[in-house]
Amino acid sequence: MAVISRDDVLKLAQLARLSLSDDEVEQFLIELREILLYVEQLKSVNVDNLAPTDQVTGLVNVMRDDITIDYGYAPGDLLGNVPRVEENLIMVQRVL
Amino acid sequence: MNIDSKTRNKYKVTIGIECHVQLKTKSKLFSGADNDARTAAPNTLVNHIDFGLPGALPVLNKEAVRLASVLAFALNSKPQSFSKFDRKHYFYPDLPMGYQITQYDQPIIIGGDVEIHDGNNIKRIKITRAHLEADAGKSMHPAGKNYSLVDLNRAGTPLVEIVSEPDMHSSSEAKAFVRELYLLVRYSGVSDANLYYGNMRFDVNVSVSRTEELGTRTETKNLNSFRSVEKAADYEINRQIELLEKGEKVVQQTRGWDEAKQKTIAQRGKEEAHDYRYMPDPDLPPVILDAEYVKSIESKMPKMPAFWRKQLADLGIGSMHIETLLEAQADYKDDGVEFLSLVCEDVNNKEYATSLANWFVNIEIPLRAQINESGTDLEQGLNRRDMYKQLYGLISENKLSSTNAKILLTKLLTEGKPCRSVLKFATENSLIQLSDQNEIDKIVDEVIINNPKPVSDIKKGEIKAVGYLVGQVMAHSSGQANPSLTRDLILEKLGIDK
Repeated sequence: MAVISRDDVLKLAQLARLSLSDDEVEQFLIELREILLYVEQLKSVNVDNLAPTDQVTGLVNVMRDDITIDYGYAPGDLLGNVPRVEENLIMVQRVL
Repeated sequence: MNIDSKTRNKYKVTIGIECHVQLKTKSKLFSGADNDARTAAPNTLVNHIDFGLPGALPVLNKEAVRLASVLAFALNSKPQSFSKFDRKHYFYPDLPMGYQITQYDQPIIIGGDVEIHDGNNIKRIKITRAHLEADAGKSMHPAGKNYSLVDLNRAGTPLVEIVSEPDMHSSSEAKAFVRELYLLVRYSGVSDANLYYGNMRFDVNVSVSRTEELGTRTETKNLNSFRSVEKAADYEINRQIELLEKGEKVVQQTRGWDEAKQKTIAQRGKEEAHDYRYMPDPDLPPVILDAEYVKSIESKMPKMPAFWRKQLADLGIGSMHIETLLEAQADYKDDGVEFLSLVCEDVNNKEYATSLANWFVNIEIPLRAQINESGTDLEQGLNRRDMYKQLYGLISENKLSSTNAKILLTKLLTEGKPCRSVLKFATENSLIQLSDQNEIDKIVDEVIINNPKPVSDIKKGEIKAVGYLVGQVMAHSSGQANPSLTRDLILEKLGIDK
């Protein structure tokens, strides 16, 4: 049976850069347990002679020539999605 | 922090290096954005792919695959017939997708080695692997502000990360290794390898141990010069030994190098590999390189440092000179300045090769370094190949002394005029030596008449006084007399056996 501890939840939160309240930790502990139990059903499938399926198209060597492409973005099109901008730079919560 | 050599020798030092090389492509690894972010305004070389917008489809750059394949041969390996891309997850503001596209378990290069030249210590450092990956953006941290700023122009730039085995055992071997990587990358032409622009960045893993078992290592990240690699390794070796000597433990961690303080500083605790939650990237089909492709890459490989080292050594050039020449060739390759091919032009003429190597190492290369700093242009239409040939010709014909050759060469290089005849230029600058017997005769006769004291000394057997007379002749001929001919002539005239 999949076991997930309080520490696991805290670690996941840390990796995801989330700060969780105590109530949330308890809530996610229960929810993640349920998710893991659900996914655990996969363990009953016999995959002995199967290669991992990480590609389904059968394509190989999909490459483009090394030329610059004008995607037609106007200045500000992309930065317009950014909540805070300073002189064309994306403002984020201080790191370091 | 002072560790005496006796204490230091009790410890075995182990160093492994990771090196990120920015590939010289026009566009990014997975998007068609311009890859030259040096002077562009922030966030202008971006699109939906680099911005990590939902639904954007990355498409692999063919040229990046070619350059990585070339690099494989430069690393004495060859590109893998099958490689694929994976997602490496972590959250950081300069990584808009929330994962980096890299190669995890099936990289394009596996194995290889690099021969390093650390003074007389020549050895091979094994390469574990090298993989293609997309660079992250650049974060800035304005002083006194509570926010950071991100520029995504660099996001998606193609990198190859080269990972060495922990085969180095001193800071000078570490420096020799990164210098050799620089040469390999420059000679193979896969990267501009401009260290100033961070085209090559080094992470240095250091551990020390009193037993054969490896000690706990630290990783000092993002070094951008050969010197800082050496200094950071030295600092870490000393710091770790000091900790262990005090009975403390080395903590496994990531550190940064503070250039101003010349020390390493602890950064975040290193995340374990499984924290990255690697998974195959379903958006990118695998890369399969057939034998024909690999063969065609190999057949087009340019001449690499190993080829030149052998060629130069066969011509009798010493190893110090060889290394200086190799590095200069790498540094000035883009300016079209040839050193190696000129020295090796005539494999039967060792004397010419030696003269040229000496002039390059002692005069032209130091001059270029000076001039690079002052920003002046060294040459304007000067054909160096002809110039050196003519210069050598004048010496062979005894028209130029070796001292004057150095003066002449410096003038030729710095005055930077188009020059058809080195002889004419030398004559204009009064640097041609008189080999005309009659003229020297006349000057020698005068000098003998005007210097009775030294003359009588010489006749009494004080041969060394002849040096004074030679000096006089040189002075009266404005340095144009050939010193050894002059000496012979004076002795002959005084009736003394040479």
